[in-house]
Amino acid sequence: MDKTLISADRLSVGYGKRVIVNGVEFEVKQGEILTLIGPNGAGKSTVLKTIAGYLKRLNGTVMIGDQDLLGFSEKEMAKKLSVVLTERIRPELMTCREVVETGRYPYTGSFGLLTQKDKEIVNTAMEAVSMQDFAQADFNSVSDGQRQRVMLARAICQEPEILILDEPTSYLDIHHKIQFFEILQGLAKERQMAVILSMHELDFAEKISDHVLCIKEGKITLSGTPDIVFIPENIMGLYGIPEKYYRKYFG
Amino acid sequence: MSKGKTTALFVLLFLGDIAVLFANLITGSADISVSDAVTAIFGEENAASDILWKIRIPRALAALLLGGALSLSGYLLQTFFHNPIAGPFVLGVSSGAKLIVAISMIFAAGIFGSLSSAFMIISAFVGSMLSLGFVLLVSRRVKQMSMLVVCGVMTGYICSAVTDFLVTFADDSDIVNLHDWSMGTFSGTSMDNVKVIFILVLMGVLGTILISKPIGAYMLGESYAQNMGVNIKLLRALLIILSGLLSASVTAFAGPVSFVGIAVVHIIRVLFKTSKPLVMIPACFLGGSIFCMLCDMIARTVFAPTELSISTVTAIFGAPVVIIIMLKHKLGEMNG
Repeated sequence: MDKTLISADRLSVGYGKRVIVNGVEFEVKQGEILTLIGPNGAGKSTVLKTIAGYLKRLNGTVMIGDQDLLGFSEKEMAKKLSVVLTERIRPELMTCREVVETGRYPYTGSFGLLTQKDKEIVNTAMEAVSMQDFAQADFNSVSDGQRQRVMLARAICQEPEILILDEPTSYLDIHHKIQFFEILQGLAKERQMAVILSMHELDFAEKISDHVLCIKEGKITLSGTPDIVFIPENIMGLYGIPEKYYRKYFG
Repeated sequence: MSKGKTTALFVLLFLGDIAVLFANLITGSADISVSDAVTAIFGEENAASDILWKIRIPRALAALLLGGALSLSGYLLQTFFHNPIAGPFVLGVSSGAKLIVAISMIFAAGIFGSLSSAFMIISAFVGSMLSLGFVLLVSRRVKQMSMLVVCGVMTGYICSAVTDFLVTFADDSDIVNLHDWSMGTFSGTSMDNVKVIFILVLMGVLGTILISKPIGAYMLGESYAQNMGVNIKLLRALLIILSGLLSASVTAFAGPVSFVGIAVVHIIRVLFKTSKPLVMIPACFLGGSIFCMLCDMIARTVFAPTELSISTVTAIFGAPVVIIIMLKHKLGEMNG
C-alpha cells in the first residue's frame, strides 16, 4: 500500500483576510504527480506557497504524512519538502554548483561545510539535470532554462519526500521541457517522491500527471485523473476559450 | 576561485595588515626609527616607549579593530537588504548613533560629570537601532533599492543637522571632545579603550561567523532560505543587531566614519570573486582594518601638524568605489 505523503482538506488560501482559493482538497501518494492547471491569476502559486508552509493558511488542514504541517520545525520541514519557485534570484558571485550546494543546508553542520557524501550528492544532482559542465559558471551568466535546471538540482539535493514546483518549465525549450519532465517522473517513480507542480503546458500535463486539479475563480472546478479532466469541454470552460479557437489551435 | 588562490590572498591581506600596522607606528611628528620601535615593543623601555604605548599603538589598534568592524557591519547590512550599496554610513545609522551620543554627552554629562565608555557605547547602539528602525519602516514602503539609500542619506543629514545644532548651543565644558569626535577621528584612544573595543568587536565578529551558514542560504532570497529551514525572522533580527553592535562600537569611539562599509566589501568581493560568507567575513575584516589604518595614517601625516578627520580621507577613497558599483549595476537593475 503506497503511503500518502501530503494531503489537503477544505483548505482556504489567500493573503491576510482576502481569500484567493477555497476548498482545496487533494491527496498525493509516494510516486505520484499532481498538477495544478488554470488561467493566470487563478491562485495556483498561492496554493503552492501555502502547502509549502510559506503562507499562513486561512482555513482547513495540510497534512504531511499523518501529521499537520504546522507541527514540524523549520529544520524538519526542510528535509521533507523542497521547492522550485517562479521568483528569479540573482545571487552575486555564486557559481551554479554553489547554488546547488545550498540544497544540502539541512544536512550540514553549524558552518555548512560539505562532507564527501554531500559532494557526491551534489554531483549526482547536477548530472541528473545535465548541468555538470556548467558547475563553475556564474549563476547569473547562464540562460534562464539552465538556471531553472540548477534550481531543480538544488531541490533534488535536499533529498525531500515532497517536491513542489511553480511553473518550472516556462522558460525551457521543447527539448529541455521533455528532459525536465523525464527527470520529474524519474524522481517520482524511482525515488518515490510526491511531486506537485503548476504548469501551462496542457499537452505535457496530460501525459505526466496522475491527478489534475483545475483552479478557476477561487474554486477547484474539477479534480481527477487526466483522462477525466482533459476533454475539450473542460479545457474550453477552464480557460474561457471559444469553441472555434479551440478547434483551430487544438483540434 | 581555487583554494590555493584564496589562501594566497588571505596571507597577503594578513601580511598587509601587519605591515600597515607597523608603518603606522613609525610615522608621525616624532621620529621613531624602526629599531627603536622594535625595541620599545618587544624589549626594554626607551625614548620611544611612551609615544608608542600611549599614543600610536592604541590609535593604530583602534583603527585596525574598528575598520574591520565597519567593513563587517557593511557586509551584514548589504546581506540584509540584498543591496551592494548599503552600509552604516549611507543608511544614516552612523549619524543616528552620533546624534544620540551627542545628546547623552551634553545632557547626561551635565548630571554625571564625564561619560564612561559603557554609556557612550549604549547611546551609540540605541542611536544605531533607532535610525535602522526608521530605515526599516521606510523600506517596507519603498521597494526600490536606490530609494532606500536616498532615504538613508536624508536620515543621516537630519541627524547630523540636529547634532550640529546641539553642539553649537551646548556649553563648552560639556563638549570638550565632542567637536573633534563628531567629525570622526581615531585620536585620543587609550589602551583601556582598546580593551573595550577588542571585546565588543570580538563579540560582533564571532556572532557573525556563527550565522555564516544561514547568511549563505539567505543570499538565494527569503523563500528559498525558508525552504532550507532557516528561521528568517531570527536571522533578520541577528543581522540587524550584529551590524548595529559593530557600527555602534565605531561611532562610540571614533565618531562617524564614512564609506568603509561599502568600498572595502566591494573590493574584497572583486578580489576573491566569491560571496561565500566563510571567506567574506574574515576577508572583509582584514580589508577594513588595512583600509582604515592607511586612511588614518594619511589623515594624521599628510598635512601635519594639522589632522584631517578620518571621514575626509575615507570618503576620498571610498565614495568613488560607490559610484563605480552603481555604474556597474546600472540603476535599472538596482531598482529591482
